[in-house]
Amino acid sequence: MDRLRTHRWAIATVMVAAAMVTPVVLDRDSFPLSTYPMYARARPAEVTLPAAVAVDGEGDVHRLSLELVGGNDDPLIVAAELRDAIAGGRADRTCAAVASRVEAAGDTVDGHRPVAIEVVTERYDTVDRVLDEADPVARRVHARCPIGDGR
Amino acid sequence: MTRWTRLHPTAPPERLAAVRILSGAYAVGYLAVRSPAILAVRDRDPAAFSGVGVLATLDRPVPDAAVVALLAVTLVAGVAFTVGAAFRVSGPAFAGCFLLVATYRSSWGQLLHFENLPALHLLVLGLAASADAWSLDARRRGRPAPSGHDHAAPLRLLCLMVVLAYVIAGLAKLRYGGLDWITGDALRHHLAYSATRLELLGEAPPPWAATAVANAWALPPLAAASVLVELGAPVALLGGRARDLWVGSAWLLHAGIAALMFVVFPYPLLLVAFAPFFELERLVPLLRSRRMRLGAAAP
Repeated sequence: MDRLRTHRWAIATVMVAAAMVTPVVLDRDSFPLSTYPMYARARPAEVTLPAAVAVDGEGDVHRLSLELVGGNDDPLIVAAELRDAIAGGRADRTCAAVASRVEAAGDTVDGHRPVAIEVVTERYDTVDRVLDEADPVARRVHARCPIGDGR
Repeated sequence: MTRWTRLHPTAPPERLAAVRILSGAYAVGYLAVRSPAILAVRDRDPAAFSGVGVLATLDRPVPDAAVVALLAVTLVAGVAFTVGAAFRVSGPAFAGCFLLVATYRSSWGQLLHFENLPALHLLVLGLAASADAWSLDARRRGRPAPSGHDHAAPLRLLCLMVVLAYVIAGLAKLRYGGLDWITGDALRHHLAYSATRLELLGEAPPPWAATAVANAWALPPLAAASVLVELGAPVALLGGRARDLWVGSAWLLHAGIAALMFVVFPYPLLLVAFAPFFELERLVPLLRSRRMRLGAAAP
């Protein structure tokens, strides 16, 4: 009986090891068997990042909290949702969802009354941004939805 | 079969039970804290759903009520798993439910790699004789654990899973980033990217990120150390000081990532991932004798 149990675990160990290595061989990331590719690729300094922002009557842009952007406190999830919505042509729906959360949260964002929400991609030199607060080198609006006074 | 590791040639049931309690408590706490994010998928656009892993064949989201029910059942099973109640059912049930919950959430566009290892560990713990000691089942039974249960082999397997996960992560950096990941600006750009992404999403960037990005000379050695820790994970299987040194190094790696990127891998940061490497049952008499000494010293 002991011998059988020992062999059972030996077989299980070999199978689990094989299962964990399989995604590496196939170069296919999944869950929970993974190639663990996070932060593994070289990344250029200049990248395009998604965001959802509030715009006030002066045209100034105000950053929204994670909760307002994605209804979630996880930046990885919120960023992925925005990225997928833009890539999947659903930026307008995301914009409307953000707008409803902003409206539900109150009249102002950072003390300013927003007139619209924009779902955007902004291209930054991230090193310059971190060190010198550099402005985006490019900006594209994928969806704009009026709120409050802008409606 | 144990030639590949010096860890746990044999193990008492308490050692495996300690890992069950730690991993179970971690997973229940994790699910409780993350439940808002898990339940938030109910508000997502169904078009964003794409099943992964064991849910790869699922082509549309399940009804909202099913998500709530699954999370509730998982939490209840998790508590039973942790305290070792009806473990023949609660063990596999919690392992399976945790896998389903995590897979379902991951099917919405973002794989959270810090959930992989707990999910895999729970599967082993749930199927092993992890509740032969320090459990409600053992207390009800009122006699020693059934003979013939192997408590060492599951621990060795848990350790192997940790080692493989780190080695694969190290290989990924060399595979996708090449040596340039170590010698070039890859780490600097990742730090800058993470800080910028947080800022654009309305969050404060990590306070040390700017310092690290400004001191580019310091980052290649840090990148080399990261890859060395990941690829060097097999030394932990030697046990003893090699294990202690590697676990300490891996923890520092995660602490550094958390400080510089605000990317938190809670399972290793809380040391739960590394629990299978140690003879945890030895802590109990140590803690007991310390408590007795403190009690005796009290006026």
